[in-house]
Amino acid sequence: MSDKENAAARRLRFEIFRFNPEDPNSEPHIDVFEIDERPYMTLYMALNEIRETLDSGLQFDFACRSAICGSCGMMVNGRPSLGCRTLTADLPETIRLHPLPAFKLIGDLSVDTGTWFREMAERTEAWIHEQQPFNKDATEERMSDDIAQAIYEGDRCIECGCCVASCGVANVNPDFLAAAGLNRVSRFMMDPRDKRDDADWFEVVAGQQGVFGCVGLMACADVCPKELPLLEVYAYLRRRILGSKFLSDRSDPPPDINT
Amino acid sequence: MTPQLITTDVLVIGGGLAGERCAIEAAAAGQEAMILSLVPPRRSHSCAAQGGMQAALGNCVKAEGDSPQVHFQDTVRGSDWGADQEVARIFAEEAPVAVRELAHYGVPWTRVRGGKNKYFIKGESVEIEELLENDGLITHRDFGGTAKWRACYAAAGTGHAALYAVDSQVVRLGITVRDRVEAIALIHDGSRCFGVVARCLRTGKQFCVLAKATVIATGGYGRIYGRYTTNATINYGTGAAIALDTGVVPLGNMEAVQFHPTALSPSGILITEGCRGDGGYLLDKNLHRFMVDAEPEKQELASRDVVSRHMMQCILDGNGVDSPNGRHLWLDIRHLGEKHLTTKLLEVFDICRDFAGINPANDMIPVRPTQHYSMGGVRVNKDGEAYGMAGLYAVGEAACWDMHGFNRLGGNSLAETLVAGRVVGARVAEYASGTTLQADTELAFAALAAAEKRAQNLLAREGNGRSVYEIRDALGEIMITKVGIFRTGDDLKSAVDEIKALIEECSHAVLRHKGPGANPELAFALRFPGMLRLALTVAMGALARAESRGAHFRSDFPLRNDREWLNRTLARWKPDASAPTLSYEPVGLIDLAPGHRGYGSDERIEMNKTVSQYNESVADLQAREGRLASVEAIGSRLQQTQGVAR
Amino acid sequence: MKILTNATNAVDSKVNARRQIVYELISGGTGLALALFMFGHVVLVGSILTGERGFDWMATMLEDYYIAQPTIAAIFALFIVHAIVASRKIPAQLDERRRMIALAKGLKNAGRDKVPSRRDNSPFVPHLESMLWIWQVRTGMVMLVLGSFHLVLLGMDIFTPLFGDHAGIESSTSLARVAAGLWLPYGILLLCVEFHASVGLYRLAVKWGSGFLPHRRHLHRIEQVIFWVVLGLGAITLLVLAGVLSPPLEFLLSEGAS
Ligand SMILES: Cc1cc2nc3c(=O)[nH]c(=O)nc-3n(C[C@H](O)[C@H](O)[C@H](O)COP(=O)(O)OP(=O)(O)OC[C@H]3O[C@@H](n4cnc5c(N)ncnc54)[C@H](O)[C@@H]3O)c2cc1C
Ligand code: HEM
Ligand code: HEM
Ligand code: SF4
Ligand code: F3S
Ligand code: FES
Repeated sequence: MSDKENAAARRLRFEIFRFNPEDPNSEPHIDVFEIDERPYMTLYMALNEIRETLDSGLQFDFACRSAICGSCGMMVNGRPSLGCRTLTADLPETIRLHPLPAFKLIGDLSVDTGTWFREMAERTEAWIHEQQPFNKDATEERMSDDIAQAIYEGDRCIECGCCVASCGVANVNPDFLAAAGLNRVSRFMMDPRDKRDDADWFEVVAGQQGVFGCVGLMACADVCPKELPLLEVYAYLRRRILGSKFLSDRSDPPPDINT
Repeated sequence: MTPQLITTDVLVIGGGLAGERCAIEAAAAGQEAMILSLVPPRRSHSCAAQGGMQAALGNCVKAEGDSPQVHFQDTVRGSDWGADQEVARIFAEEAPVAVRELAHYGVPWTRVRGGKNKYFIKGESVEIEELLENDGLITHRDFGGTAKWRACYAAAGTGHAALYAVDSQVVRLGITVRDRVEAIALIHDGSRCFGVVARCLRTGKQFCVLAKATVIATGGYGRIYGRYTTNATINYGTGAAIALDTGVVPLGNMEAVQFHPTALSPSGILITEGCRGDGGYLLDKNLHRFMVDAEPEKQELASRDVVSRHMMQCILDGNGVDSPNGRHLWLDIRHLGEKHLTTKLLEVFDICRDFAGINPANDMIPVRPTQHYSMGGVRVNKDGEAYGMAGLYAVGEAACWDMHGFNRLGGNSLAETLVAGRVVGARVAEYASGTTLQADTELAFAALAAAEKRAQNLLAREGNGRSVYEIRDALGEIMITKVGIFRTGDDLKSAVDEIKALIEECSHAVLRHKGPGANPELAFALRFPGMLRLALTVAMGALARAESRGAHFRSDFPLRNDREWLNRTLARWKPDASAPTLSYEPVGLIDLAPGHRGYGSDERIEMNKTVSQYNESVADLQAREGRLASVEAIGSRLQQTQGVAR
Repeated sequence: MKILTNATNAVDSKVNARRQIVYELISGGTGLALALFMFGHVVLVGSILTGERGFDWMATMLEDYYIAQPTIAAIFALFIVHAIVASRKIPAQLDERRRMIALAKGLKNAGRDKVPSRRDNSPFVPHLESMLWIWQVRTGMVMLVLGSFHLVLLGMDIFTPLFGDHAGIESSTSLARVAAGLWLPYGILLLCVEFHASVGLYRLAVKWGSGFLPHRRHLHRIEQVIFWVVLGLGAITLLVLAGVLSPPLEFLLSEGAS
């Protein structure tokens, strides 16, 4: 705590990627800004200071500024991180900022993660396929607290896109669901309220866009700001898919399994 | 390319819990719904809610005997009798359905574990045997100002889990969501709303969206307090501001601003009330539990307004802990143990680690009261219809549906967003199916042209002077120092003057960046005048209200005054006026008669009429304020419960 | 479910999914088999540490009992199949490969910008495994060339006796050709194969076993130990083959003989 408070007043040098696709005169380039470090300064504070005092055209995204909304993923010295929770004290004096790769660029540090995640949700039908319609007069279905906690663990993903940006495969294969997508899928696979069975999951999870697209680079787990157990998720999916493929009767489900 | 004009049946401004739930209801009823949002819906500030959602399920031992009736009473007491009790009743009755519906949508609510459980209650560790027959039902945690344990929760990520579940239904129903789009003006003819003028935050282009019904669900306006707020940086309150701009639609109780006792000092990031609910306590610089002296009964779990005031008083009395960033107090949750902290309070654990560099299992957390919630907002009736403007609705924190009165209870807001989303959504769908789209393009293009002109004027301005950002910081300082927890007439007067001066200054503030595209500075300059107007409305409402009620505390009028002020402030901003006009309406029909809240001061100025006399005057006064007829007959939910014991 | 891949219909995507699972099993399985074989290989070739007699005894035995002939054929097949199937994961476009390499390098050089973590997901600060994969691809490519050459060479050694007067694998030929210059390609091949195999096993363990195998941090330690031990053994063997070092374990056999 104390070393962050007493951070000897450093002069920080920011090298920031700039490009505004809406401006025909704009070319991708790097701009350099210098500001003084303050105690407990986060990249959220630093970027706002730059925008408010040095270049008010700078584009970036923050919303919750408390590491829960997932808006502010960016490449910090080559590593995808949440800007709002990255303390400058943990970084060298020169800080290189780039937008997350693998997503469509909106401008400068701002990328379109929203569209990516919505498409992912549509592709994997990431909602509960319930057994019965909602009955407003009934008490809730029971669920053991252990299962609830396990589901919550998977549900904690904030869709920041850091894992997607860090994954070499996701960067070259736009169809790849990546850790965030497969984590979401496994969360529904685990949920007893969802009626989809292994056969339904098979093609979502097993193809090259799914778990077998992953080559085990393990970057996703290392950069995930929520520290989700992504490798455990992958291993769980692999084993479960293997089980369903070779332990089941191997019969093809009917082609129209639309739910 | 976005065309200049798009149409839909139901337009929802805001992709938080309230907006999305409302859109689901409309879409399920066969209306085409469209959601506009500043950010992808899952990044709305609803995701930040940690602690819980109130609903009287009564599943755990400490919740036994709970019912909507008790929830209703807690809510009204919490509101310091400022709430519309009919709405509070609808709310308390529907909240259990809302929680169960979320379970159905997939929220992993924390469940009852039958058998022995260890809890911390009033600072002491106790063991309670949960009934085996309740094993697996949704469990509860304690929250401030409630008679029973009632807050349903998913670890410390309740809002996150709820928002993701609700958004998954939005995806499922294929509801169009346009994220990074900001509504900047309502299209209306003075009595009916036709949609909005919106600005795309990717390209900077402006366009019109026309709809049969328009719903404002833009959340709170905490950012008028600058950085002294727990709210997200996107909580500008634009929805309320554009409603105010119509000149017709009033905002209700804008002076009712909640301060949360435990925001991390200095960053202002919220530490959930669940910490105290689970047994954490507050300490001053001598490590003394001052809340035990101040509120022997509820201790740390009195309502937020009360705890915040005691904390501020403690700091003012010189018992705050000194730090380079001002004085703070300690929140101590070390005794809950690392296991509890990394499961049931996981998000709190992370926040402490990331933003204060501490481990709450070993260190105390520096906290101070900080702006948190906007009880005020677009005044709507029971059905969510805005006063004075057909086809315009509001839900969630942006609305003053008014179940919170002058103080919202923790956990009641998430519940409100979903209950109101359901109730109002159904009304919106009904309204939309009974009307046709009036594509009055002339009106729309006039509004669009006006908005374009505004942007061009801003860009064309020359000169120097303070930037909009500097003016914003100045506003934040005024609001926190003069319109904060303890308010006085003198402070408020000077706040009003200073805000007016800022409005003047802002009207010729010059932009530094004039480039094309999204232009974040232009975006801010377009919405900031609205924030200033909201701030002035708050300050003027606070200045006029010469009493103390709930979160509104006047040091010069420290008592609640039910004789003169058992009413709701309505603020309208007439076209071209330099300040809002205030008027008042009764709080609504009274069911639970005004009395002592059970915490805080027991002194007050009593009503000088009976409850039935008050109630008689309500209906016609409301009619005079232009209130639209509601689907439910007025008073149909009332049960005359004054005699019922807690 | 609906539009999941570019496949035109549900059946296609199902077939595709099934194909992927088979590929994954083949590449992992052949990799595993090859890696295990290479540990055995260290011991077999390592017989030279006991001197020429030990080596020749081993070689003769394997050939006389017809173990060597099917083995080399099988290994060659595994080798080729593995190379083909595993390469499907290597991006086809040069540009894509560049992007992956740049990303991996960036992650590796990111500096210590990681907040202290609750679960300690990563054994590395900063992240390294992406770069390890790049090197797996690179070493794989090198092996494809050198390994094929080696296998063909040994294939001739092993199979010619079946047709003529040649004596099969012999310490004298091996020693001579290694000393004559094959030490260089063998040295490179050795480094490549041990790196590729140990990292590959680590990756396999994490990919399939996370959650019930030991924590990744420990797996990585194990991987490093395996790498250095096998590399060390192989290096000594190579030095002996090259004639730089005299067989350190020769006393074992000479004692027994006397
Ligand atoms: C830190 C924190 C913790 C909380 N914890 C709890 C809790 O534990 N329990 C509880 O009950 N309550 C809690 N609350 C309160 C509760 O979370 C909020 O009141 C509630 O989520 C508000 O939901 P909403 O849908 O009304 O608004 P929001 O979720 O704020 O959504 C607003 C939406 O409107 C959009 N929007 C805004 N302006 C515009 C515009 N001009 N054009 C287009 N779109 C716009 C935004 O993009 C966003 O999608 C907490 C609040 C905070 C700040
Ligand atoms: C012909 C040369 C070779 C090439 C081109 C090659 C290439 C590759 C590639 C690209 C991978 C990554 C595949 C993936 O991640 O899915 C891989 C994995 C692997 N290789 Fe090789 N390889 C070769 C030879 C070998 C040899 C000789 C061994 C054994 C010593 C071996 C053992 C492994 C193992 C164990 C894996 C891990 C498999 C997995 O992660 O699924 N490879 N190889
Ligand atoms: C069944 C198949 C194989 C047989 C019978 C075999 C046999 C041998 C022999 C006899 C040598 C001694 C040197 C020589 O005679 O040239 C040797 C060395 C070597 N072989 Fe193989 N080999 C086989 C497969 C492989 C494979 C698949 C690889 C790796 C891709 C490999 C890598 C090496 C290396 C690196 C050496 C150098 C010596 C050392 O340090 O271990 N071999 N092998
Ligand atoms: S899995 Fe982790 S890194 Fe990936 S999107 Fe979710 S929170 Fe972000
Ligand atoms: S980084 Fe990518 S390759 Fe797999 S282990 Fe993570 S998804
Ligand atoms: S701003 Fe919300 S995660 Fe960083």
